[in-house]
Amino acid sequence: MKHLKPVNQKADRVERHIEVEAGARGDVVALQQGPLRPDAAVPLGCSFVFFPGWEVDVEGGTAGLCSPVERDLFDCHLGCFWPAQVPDQLNHAPDWTASCASAQKDWRKIDLIFP
Amino acid sequence: MPIARSQFILALLLLAAWLPRTAAGQDAGEAPAGIPVENPTVIEACGICHATDDPRILSRISYRRTTPEGWQRTIRRMVTLNDMALDADEAREIVRYLSNDLGLAPEEARAGAFEVERRAIEFAYEADLDTEDTCRACHSMGRILNQRRTKEEWELVVAMHRGYYPFADRQGFLEDGMVGREAPAADETPRRRHPMNRAIDHLAEVFPLHTSAWAAWSANVRPPQLAGTWAVSGHHPGRGPVFGQMTVTAVAGADAEFTTEASLVYPQSGESVTHAGRAIVYTGYQWRGSSDVAIEDTAWRQVMFVERDWNEISGRWFRGVGDEIGLDVTLTRSDAGAAPVVAGVHPRALRLSAEGEVQIHGANLPAPLAPADVDFGAGVEVTEVVSAAPGLATVRVAVSAGAAVGARDLRVGRGRAARALVVHDRVDRIEVEPSRGMARVGGVVAAKQYQQFHAVAWHDGPDSEAGTGDDLNLGVLEPTWSLEEYSATYGDEDLRYVGAVDQTGLFTPAVDGPNPERNGNRNNIGDVWVVASFTPDGRDTPLRGRALLVVTVPVYMQFDSWEVGR
Repeated sequence: MKHLKPVNQKADRVERHIEVEAGARGDVVALQQGPLRPDAAVPLGCSFVFFPGWEVDVEGGTAGLCSPVERDLFDCHLGCFWPAQVPDQLNHAPDWTASCASAQKDWRKIDLIFP
Repeated sequence: MPIARSQFILALLLLAAWLPRTAAGQDAGEAPAGIPVENPTVIEACGICHATDDPRILSRISYRRTTPEGWQRTIRRMVTLNDMALDADEAREIVRYLSNDLGLAPEEARAGAFEVERRAIEFAYEADLDTEDTCRACHSMGRILNQRRTKEEWELVVAMHRGYYPFADRQGFLEDGMVGREAPAADETPRRRHPMNRAIDHLAEVFPLHTSAWAAWSANVRPPQLAGTWAVSGHHPGRGPVFGQMTVTAVAGADAEFTTEASLVYPQSGESVTHAGRAIVYTGYQWRGSSDVAIEDTAWRQVMFVERDWNEISGRWFRGVGDEIGLDVTLTRSDAGAAPVVAGVHPRALRLSAEGEVQIHGANLPAPLAPADVDFGAGVEVTEVVSAAPGLATVRVAVSAGAAVGARDLRVGRGRAARALVVHDRVDRIEVEPSRGMARVGGVVAAKQYQQFHAVAWHDGPDSEAGTGDDLNLGVLEPTWSLEEYSATYGDEDLRYVGAVDQTGLFTPAVDGPNPERNGNRNNIGDVWVVASFTPDGRDTPLRGRALLVVTVPVYMQFDSWEVGR
């Protein structure tokens, strides 16, 4: 960026970001769709193969996840989308949403299920 | 009635397609015989639904072998989803019988030991990509490695998953849900077999019900006689090396049940703890125990592997919501009057020209002890025995300036420990382990899942190249720990929100739930570097090592809660 001068706020943020990045790693990795990079640093135990991943996105970070997780949680439940992470409404927890109308608002009332 | 006629023709065609297959299957006599169940509690509790014409052959159950954890998981599912009524004693007896009589041979259980020991190791199942992709979307391959089934039984377990977890069908089992799947081979039609079916073929071939290993082990298995005294050595990430002694006492009137009392010492801090516990040994070798430490509020689980000679037991003791806090242990039989056992030394590494005290931990060490009884090899002279007791001797040593760099065996009387002490001339680098970690926010809805890191000092070895086979492990350090931003996206400020690492390398995540302070009410999740910094003797600037930490969301289904050690 030696020969370019930021002229708006976004360009300024890009430049500042690259300065911070210089000591860390060479690329901006999240918020990009695409197959998992072979060298992506996915911690063990993370499931990333679904769209999106639960613990990490396909790039191995958390930036691409639905967040807050509570926003979409009941949809995952109703659609039985995350069989190992979110209780499904068919078998394991048909009444999971009963005590909590909106997960984002009443998130403290969400139950954990021990199948 | 053209519709009815076409349905009739379709039915005929289907029947025609089905008949030869069935006939062929029957003629070939391919269905393997089930394993008879002799236990009345199992027959009574399970036989109501799993009845066949032969009262000793139970459908599904007689065609599968697995670990105690595998059987416990199935029984729990029967209770929660199929309304099976069972009291705790019956459940224990059923798990014990099935694990003993429809279990795994030791050779079969080694590959999947990381699963039952709840280790987060990097594991790639290279034998079949379809199997790995199909199963690993939801669980570790260790779950699969610990199963033996007939072909029909593998088909049924897949069918069970498709029935109970219908959306997993598209996500995991069929093709369109898979990421990174290889292109179909050139000789396959576009409507090729589902990966799921190819996985079943593979599993039936590689993990069959009947194996020579199980035939040999089940003929020879017996309750192990483990009562006695055992020397403990291990490594506890965050607390360093650990040594001690465990007394194992047989429970009267019960086979393969023991009470345990372990006294452990952490030489890094000087701290001592006592674990009082119980254990059951399944299938003659699978130690499943639990233990309590007086000052701690949650029990430890012990999962260990008893060697065939009954002289060594090794595995992992752990606790935490994700079984993430744990120590690796090895127990060596050390009954009174037996040969000395040298469990290890502290510190593990000494520089050239260094002088200092070295603790030798073990059992039955000679006492009194003369300097001549302790042999670290050439260049490491034992100048004084500071103290000597059967479990711990402290000696003063001097490393000569010209000693050869490398690992030394230690001999104490007739006892020996291989590569017990490393003589070195410098620390080349430090590495943070694990190199990738995961924690989960918690504290309100879910419990916090921690991540423990530890830092290891390394010498690059004679070739002065890092990461080669001749590198010398100089033992764990007590570095300065900190967090740094891992840049994944603009201005996420993960560092401010995700949590903190303490000076033992333990990362404690922040609270769960939406955070109104964050953009979009984001949870306190994020990606950070965990950095260890340490300045060894002889250096002006610190050495640094770092690991990636993902702090992520909780799981709302907690499958992994275990009772097999109780």
